[in-house]
Amino acid sequence: MNHIELDGVSKTFGERVVLSDLSLKIEKAERLVLFGPSGSGKTTVLRLVAGLEVPDKGEIRIEGRIVANSGKNFVPPEKRNVGMVFQDLALWPHMTVQQNLMFGLNARRIQKREAEVRVREMLHRVGLEHRTEAKPHQLSGGEQQRVALARALVSRPSILLMDEPLSSLEEERKCAIASDLLDLHSQFGFTLVYVTHDRAETDLLASRVCQMRDGRVA
Amino acid sequence: MGRTVRAETIVLWLCLAVVAIAGLAPIALMVFESVWHNGHFSLNHYRELILTARFWPLLGNSIRLALATATVCGLIGVPTGIFFAKSDLPLRSGFMWLLTVPFVLPPYFIALGWSRVVARTGVTTSDWLFGFGGCVLVLSSVFLPIVTLLTFASASNVDGRLEEAGRLASGWPAVVRRITLPLSAPGILFSLVLVFLLAIGELSVPSFLRYPVLPVLSFTQFAASYNFGAATAAAVPLAALAFLGVLIEAALLQNRVYTFRSIGCGLVIPLDRWKPFVAAMLGLLSVALVILPLSALFADAFSLTAMREALQRAGASVVRSVIYSAIAATILMTLGFLLGHLTRDRGQRLVNFLTLSLFAIPGTVLSIGLIRLWNSPMTWLIYTTPALLMLGYTAQYCAVTTRLSLAGFFLIPKTLDEAARLSGASWARRLFRIFVPLSTRTLICAWLAAYILCLRDVPLALMTAPPGGDPLPARILTLMANGAPSLIASLCLIMAIASLVPLAILARVIRAQAIPA
Repeated sequence: MNHIELDGVSKTFGERVVLSDLSLKIEKAERLVLFGPSGSGKTTVLRLVAGLEVPDKGEIRIEGRIVANSGKNFVPPEKRNVGMVFQDLALWPHMTVQQNLMFGLNARRIQKREAEVRVREMLHRVGLEHRTEAKPHQLSGGEQQRVALARALVSRPSILLMDEPLSSLEEERKCAIASDLLDLHSQFGFTLVYVTHDRAETDLLASRVCQMRDGRVA
Repeated sequence: MGRTVRAETIVLWLCLAVVAIAGLAPIALMVFESVWHNGHFSLNHYRELILTARFWPLLGNSIRLALATATVCGLIGVPTGIFFAKSDLPLRSGFMWLLTVPFVLPPYFIALGWSRVVARTGVTTSDWLFGFGGCVLVLSSVFLPIVTLLTFASASNVDGRLEEAGRLASGWPAVVRRITLPLSAPGILFSLVLVFLLAIGELSVPSFLRYPVLPVLSFTQFAASYNFGAATAAAVPLAALAFLGVLIEAALLQNRVYTFRSIGCGLVIPLDRWKPFVAAMLGLLSVALVILPLSALFADAFSLTAMREALQRAGASVVRSVIYSAIAATILMTLGFLLGHLTRDRGQRLVNFLTLSLFAIPGTVLSIGLIRLWNSPMTWLIYTTPALLMLGYTAQYCAVTTRLSLAGFFLIPKTLDEAARLSGASWARRLFRIFVPLSTRTLICAWLAAYILCLRDVPLALMTAPPGGDPLPARILTLMANGAPSLIASLCLIMAIASLVPLAILARVIRAQAIPA
């Protein structure tokens, strides 16, 4: 069964048509890279899957269940079991690294002891176990990327959405984080939908590439 | 979409219900009663009002006073605001805070101060002070900070890169004229509309300086004649003017929210050898508008006997003022924060329009509406307690805290909320764990602004405070009739301290560093 399905999805913002009758099927544990120029609708696809936007037309299914359909979201973002790494990372500046990771686990009412174990393990996985009490602005760019990735994965989502998270990093760091991401993917088996306009990132991460142009799959 | 959305919707409706009960219902009832007489529709009150010989001159005086005040504020406030925002003038922030002082005090303080100046020169009455000229002088001093600060904020918000691009082609005067001023125009025009509205509804200054205007007529019809119909009919034109002003504001600004965040360095006006001259001009302005009247007012306050008598006769009013203002500020901060948060994506225009309409409506008009609505045996618990005053403060000033909150929310990246949402957090958890900690500075600013506005308010304090429970501005106004100058001076000094201490805190908070992004 397909993990994520977009069926005839259209989305406009005001007068601007961002997605036009887009259909896309993504299999479980696939690493799909949405590749294309700015304004081609890649980020909107991620936001629709996350539930942060509602499609004007068409249907979105996750694990066979309809989550959104023509102007209505049936499953809110917090119930979709989706993790996301935003382009600006969106780390909460008033919280420490540990608190950033604990937030989602607390919201999902995971027991405190188990949550602490999970956070410790995840920070160890991304090599930040020594930075638990640091605030985001005290971290380097690469460390911030790792915290964002750890935060998205700590609640063990079945889908990980990534919106050009490495665009601001230099090549060497980019490769290191991409390699970490592949390790995490093989360990947790989530479905990865990755947005970029960088050919090198695509080559590093994709098991399948979907080229987008003007709101359609090219 | 599940339980979380319902919680948001319920809270939004509760907030709107508070605004409706506090402000919209009294105004609606007042308008209704002004056209409903003995069980049927009637324009009798309006006919009587219009046929009254006094009405048209009073309306004319009100409009003339408001126009003159807005013009003076514009002529002084716009260049001052531009200099504060764009020049290398020394002591800019000092001048800015000094010129803001009259706005945080009850408006009649400056009038009282000028009357002391006149009295000290040995003249008992003065034609220039007690009349149109004096009113314009006093109201311009009081409302000048609105134009100066909003011009400053608008000019600071102009994208610095646009000015730098202009600077490559021409000198700074042309850049100010062709780029900075046109791009700041909506904010400047908004400030002028605001000054016009506040001046047209002002009660205490024209009444002290014996200049007949419509709010004074409305107040005397209510307080002296206890004629609700006539008071209401006199108040409705003021409410209509306020409504018109808000419509103009909505058209000018289209609900633009100022975030007080500048982009790039932008233009710097090099004053060079003009620095001492401009600083001297601003010093002179500060002396004329602030230091002279206030020092004349406070000169008699520094005596132990006067201070003791002041505390004996009005100590309870001081405590009441601080407590009422603190409670109202807490309500207003919470309401503004919730309204801002819940409407930051949708419904912002409607909420802005409603709250700004209530802000623009003169306090006398709102007070009459509140008394009319709540003065019944069933609602005595509200009418005879400070609850009525709290409702008045809430209606009048929720626009300020809502706008401040909205401006703060626009500085918080939307993705922080989205990330929390995807983490599984409910609306309430996101509100308390993400937005509240990130808005600490906004919340403190909103609380202090609301506190200062409630503390300095005169019409609501005068008309809606419970019997024997008057706040300090109303108490001073009452004692002015027969109190000794030293007593009044001491009370004014106490009031000034209560207002200026929060202003000093506000200055520190604004200067403090925000949470690093």
